[in-house]
Amino acid sequence: MIKRLSPWILAGPASLLVLVFLILPVGSTLIATFTDAKGWAAPYATFFNSGFRRTVLYRTIEISLITTVISVILGFIAAYVVAQMPGRLKSIMIIAAVFPLLTGVVVRSFAWLILLGKNGILNSALLSMGIISEPISMLYTEGAVIAAMVYLFVPLMILTLAGVLEGIPKDVVEAATSLGAAPFAVFRQVILPLAMPGLIVGAVLVFTGSFTSYATPQLLGGERQMMMGTLLYQRAMVTFDWTGASTVAAIMVVVTIAIVMLMTRLARRLNPMAG
Amino acid sequence: MTVSLTLDHITAHYGSTQVLEDLSLAIKAGELVSLLGSSGCGKTTTLRLVAGFLEPTSGTIRLGERDLTRLAAHTRDIGLVFQNYALFPHLSVRDNVAFGLKQRGLGAAERTARANAMLERVGLSSFADRMPAALSGGQKQRVALARALVIEPPLLMFDEPLSNLDAKLRVDMRVEIRRLQRANGTTSLYVTHDQEEAFSISDRVAIMNAGKIMQLDRPEVLYQRPANAFVARFVGFENLIAMSVTAREGEMVTAVTQSGATLQLSQTVFGAIPDRFVLAARPEGLAVAREGEGIPVTLGIRTYLGRAYQYQCATAEGNYLGNGPLTDLMEPGAAAVLIPVPEQCCILPSDA
Repeated sequence: MIKRLSPWILAGPASLLVLVFLILPVGSTLIATFTDAKGWAAPYATFFNSGFRRTVLYRTIEISLITTVISVILGFIAAYVVAQMPGRLKSIMIIAAVFPLLTGVVVRSFAWLILLGKNGILNSALLSMGIISEPISMLYTEGAVIAAMVYLFVPLMILTLAGVLEGIPKDVVEAATSLGAAPFAVFRQVILPLAMPGLIVGAVLVFTGSFTSYATPQLLGGERQMMMGTLLYQRAMVTFDWTGASTVAAIMVVVTIAIVMLMTRLARRLNPMAG
Repeated sequence: MTVSLTLDHITAHYGSTQVLEDLSLAIKAGELVSLLGSSGCGKTTTLRLVAGFLEPTSGTIRLGERDLTRLAAHTRDIGLVFQNYALFPHLSVRDNVAFGLKQRGLGAAERTARANAMLERVGLSSFADRMPAALSGGQKQRVALARALVIEPPLLMFDEPLSNLDAKLRVDMRVEIRRLQRANGTTSLYVTHDQEEAFSISDRVAIMNAGKIMQLDRPEVLYQRPANAFVARFVGFENLIAMSVTAREGEMVTAVTQSGATLQLSQTVFGAIPDRFVLAARPEGLAVAREGEGIPVTLGIRTYLGRAYQYQCATAEGNYLGNGPLTDLMEPGAAAVLIPVPEQCCILPSDA
């Protein structure tokens, strides 16, 4: 009897933890969006009927996708270069790449305020070189948000990819070369497919990270470039519209899951072993 | 089409360290030559130079009439088989084999047909749709072999291809490699540190040391008539006895060891004997006897070999290994003599 029950008893505490701190809160958030007095899907109708909120959603998806693509490309190049380096130099480069992660997101976003402001470093430099005649406003644009988020997430990408690229055996690349594959063919037919698992993990991390980001778009995008995180915060903490906030959260979860599934499917087509 | 491979005065460096010193090697069309040596002797470096993964500091590499020396690796048209198989883990067995054909721009239908035919030849037809991870070591190396052969390269190279396989499979595979190599008549370069493997599979073997070829010849010649002390030791002549001639009388030569023991040697057996030379003998080439005309020794540790007893034999100039008969058991500490068995010994030029 005890023997039959023991798995349940052993799994109990952890299950309880998940139930209380994950399933119940998320569940109640979702339930709130379907039990509104105005009808079961009314909060979603309200969301999608608002041009402003739709724009915020599309902007968030757009910024996150662009951030992901740029981070993947930059991260791949950096990780590839790092993976070729000899042992000691490699560890130094990895530490250098990861170093920014040791400071907070807010601090790093502030750094971009100093860089991109009207009297910021970039404007002063361009002015003194005579490339521009008056400061250009770079803050509170999509570009500023993307730049800062790429800067934020490339270390993550490098970290996940460096391991994967290092794991590709050298002789597999040499085998491809000996069979007549030119460098680009080796990259396209061997390295890229074999790096795919790392690319997906990295891309998912970057996408979910930027999709749910709050501090960076808030500081560098302001009201004009509002993203879902800020919208969620406003709904909950400024207008106390808890159902509205729950709706935003639910939409974010659905979009994230949908995009992650899409990425995995895309990756599987390139490498059947991935995902 | 079979062609020869010629390495002409190749010198190579890793950074500032010289790894190959003025190496010349000619492999005839259709011949299989092994590079044999311990790790760090330059055998793998030689293979990588020919493959194009390394560039020589000086010298030329020629495949038939074609100068490979500065050619990009992917244009060299060489079939390579690696120690770790180096299969593409994301491609099926068939696609692995077809990879080289794809690079040559062949259509999908022809690629599949030729890959299937090649898999048939190595006995892996039923595995064509599997992924490499689902194969055993021996099957993986067969796929690697098929992948290298299917592009019909003028040159095949093997980099310790059997090192990761167990003993029984190793013997099967080397027969298989030899069979396929013979059938195609493909000129081949085979790198290994395993003497038995090199001797059994090769037309000729090059024994390498410190970036140089010490001797290149047929296995039988290497085994019985090593040209120098290094090769002699490598093929099991554990006793190298330095001697100098004191008298010559017709065919017979009288020579003494460094500690003064006298031996009579016949030039009809050994060929011309120089004034200073090294007598090389395997343990079975030095018979241990209680008395007789030979090198006086004191017996040390005795080990039982099944066909004979082997004794460590101490002399003033060093220790030798000799074999004694099963019928006469001698105890450690006893005095005895070592009598060279002429057919089992050879004469080497003195190093000094």
